[in-house]
Amino acid sequence: MKARESRVQTVMHVNLCDGGTFLETLPEQWTRQYIGCRGINGRLLLRDVKPRTEAFGPDNVLLFGTGPLDGTPVGMGRISVACKSPRGTLAEGSCGGFFGPELRRAGIDYLAIRGVADHPVYLFVTDGRVEIRDASRLWGLKTNETDAILREELSDPNIQFRYIGPAGENLVHASPIFGNLNNSGGRAGCGQVMGSKKLKAIAVRGSQGIGIADYDGFIKAYKTFRQKVDIATSRDPWTPVWSTYGAPILPRLFSGLGNLMTRNAREMRWDDEKTVSVNAEIFMEKHVTKAKACFCCPWPSCQKLYEIRSGKHQGFKGGNYWAGQPITFGSLIDNDDLELILVLSGLCNQYGLDIFHVGYTLAWAMECFENGILTSKDTDGMELKFGCRDKEGLVDLIRKIALREGFGALLALGCSEASKIVGKGSERFCLAVKGQELEGVAQRSMYMVALGVAVSEVGPDHTRWYPPYPCNPDLISREDLDQLDIRLDLRKAFQGRNPDEKGKLLRWFTISRAVVESLPSCVFLIRDTLGLDLRPWWNLFTSATGLNVAYEEFVMAGERVMNLDRLFNVREGFRREDDRLPIRMMTEDVPYFGYSRIGPGLLDRMLDEYYQENGWSLKTSIPTRTKLNQLKMGEIADELEACGVEVET
Amino acid sequence: MKQIYVIEDLCNGCRLCQTFCSSLVSGVFDYDSEDVRINVIKVPGEERDIPVVNCNGRCARPIFVEDCPTCVSVCPTGALVYEEQKDVVLKRLELEEARRCQSLFKVVAPWKWPFPWKRKSVGAK
Repeated sequence: MKARESRVQTVMHVNLCDGGTFLETLPEQWTRQYIGCRGINGRLLLRDVKPRTEAFGPDNVLLFGTGPLDGTPVGMGRISVACKSPRGTLAEGSCGGFFGPELRRAGIDYLAIRGVADHPVYLFVTDGRVEIRDASRLWGLKTNETDAILREELSDPNIQFRYIGPAGENLVHASPIFGNLNNSGGRAGCGQVMGSKKLKAIAVRGSQGIGIADYDGFIKAYKTFRQKVDIATSRDPWTPVWSTYGAPILPRLFSGLGNLMTRNAREMRWDDEKTVSVNAEIFMEKHVTKAKACFCCPWPSCQKLYEIRSGKHQGFKGGNYWAGQPITFGSLIDNDDLELILVLSGLCNQYGLDIFHVGYTLAWAMECFENGILTSKDTDGMELKFGCRDKEGLVDLIRKIALREGFGALLALGCSEASKIVGKGSERFCLAVKGQELEGVAQRSMYMVALGVAVSEVGPDHTRWYPPYPCNPDLISREDLDQLDIRLDLRKAFQGRNPDEKGKLLRWFTISRAVVESLPSCVFLIRDTLGLDLRPWWNLFTSATGLNVAYEEFVMAGERVMNLDRLFNVREGFRREDDRLPIRMMTEDVPYFGYSRIGPGLLDRMLDEYYQENGWSLKTSIPTRTKLNQLKMGEIADELEACGVEVET
Repeated sequence: MKQIYVIEDLCNGCRLCQTFCSSLVSGVFDYDSEDVRINVIKVPGEERDIPVVNCNGRCARPIFVEDCPTCVSVCPTGALVYEEQKDVVLKRLELEEARRCQSLFKVVAPWKWPFPWKRKSVGAK
């Protein structure tokens, strides 16, 4: 039985219009230049999706990408899902679970799906082969129902799935793609595009193992990596708590620092007792039933299954309560009922909705209601106020949003589009950038976050430069930093509200996370020095693939991936003007803490530093020809000019 | 003689044990291979993950800790223990006592947790 090697990667192209499939072998040069996963997805999109392509049309390509480390104990089962977003930008997201390794085991590293089926279908992928099967009986089912039925029908417990829920089918804004019940990715629009292709699900089962070019070298590199992330040995204080209690420790912490989005981010501090009632300890005590993990995760319990044990929703089961949920369904809408949060976010997973879209759009609607811009005539009779007295109304609203029913139809558009329709000044309550809702990271108190939110090509996505809080710069010596060519004044860079060095810091974070997401591995594991020093990742990559790539080349791949993102958007017409912050953050100071608004002058200063360091035009943010030549992407500069884009020298 | 025992409800389904085991002789990561001596059975609905050990405890290649099977040392939660039979019961009791004190130990074994934790002084020992 063959084992997969990782130097050379394959793309299975599938056309849903005519059922045609063919397997393309990518040049080894691509593995060296873009590594894989997010990187090669980005390169494929530039090659195969022409500018101005209709997002819901047959020419948009939906990519599922694995990478050279998928299927090894460092890949964490990550995949990248990517396509052109209905908002016009790049749509790319990372997703965990067990799908990635299984796809690689089937001899396929990337699935590239184009066309639109004329009836609901699902793909059944086995070694080197894709079958397009009827999915009419699955259309309309929730994600958990789809999972259960497919598992039962296909009976092999090692088959892995990705699917969308009713929200994706109905092209609801920001619908992600789901799998392993509670893992998701691609909230920039990948679920919508999958729905537009009438593709309900993908099932995969492979039979090949993952070969390692230098096994002993890989084990040595794994030990170094594991030592930095294991709860017993990690020097990062976040590791033990993050890997067990998980992200819900954050709301309480954030609130004390003035970093917690409260009542649509009108305030950044929530009542202390309320933060306690939704925090990690209570969740663990009352609702957690089991630890869960992605493929080969070295942490005990990043994910968890929960069950509500009493009350109206007794018996409700769900999974994955992180920092997003207690913010979007907690402080953001001023709800301190943890059970309600668990039901709302669990239902979002089942219906295939993005919690940030739903939470921020609800908060927008509540602030509109408070200001008389929306009335109960618009909201199906609901008193839509912060504090959420009408709990069952909210629960029902999740279903209505997924199915575009009643008031749900307006909310299904997302707060950006909804505020354009409603008008009456509701735009100032819309917390979105490039049409995509914010997440949970505070901008006015952490300027690197502000810059990252403004520039992210897919819309606000903190995982592209995560984590936003400073890691301990003392863990890495000055000599190491110089040797790694990280020319940063780390202390200044980590001062939250000092605008200097933020462009440089964001650049370094973006490049290093791009590398990690292209291997792939999980950005949660950027602990200890793994976010500053990429050499342990490099050793894992070279020993697994057998590719003799210099460290500088390896890091440069991350910079190429960062440029691929920007190039996609530039081709679609996005420029510097689109790198903005929500109106609230630019015009309102944070009450109580006094963090001042981020005016255009301050943002421009940070954008200037970021673009300058990146070698991008200060006027337009388009990568210059000098930079693209340096990255050996000169031919892409030619293609850009051929599309009518002005490329500066 | 020490054997590998499973504390089922601590398993999070990651398959680190199975994946590493599959590679110890062949150098290939293949959780489905015939060489594998531990198999994590996944129950539909993601609700149970059950490691089934088919190994006499003499590991083909203990990678991380000398004289400790690779699967046991690589397990993140402590769901796998390598003990004499008489000591396994004590481990199980340690886990149950820890869970009475702190809900954290629903998801990780106390012997994997590197910090002191508050023990309730309940009952006699």
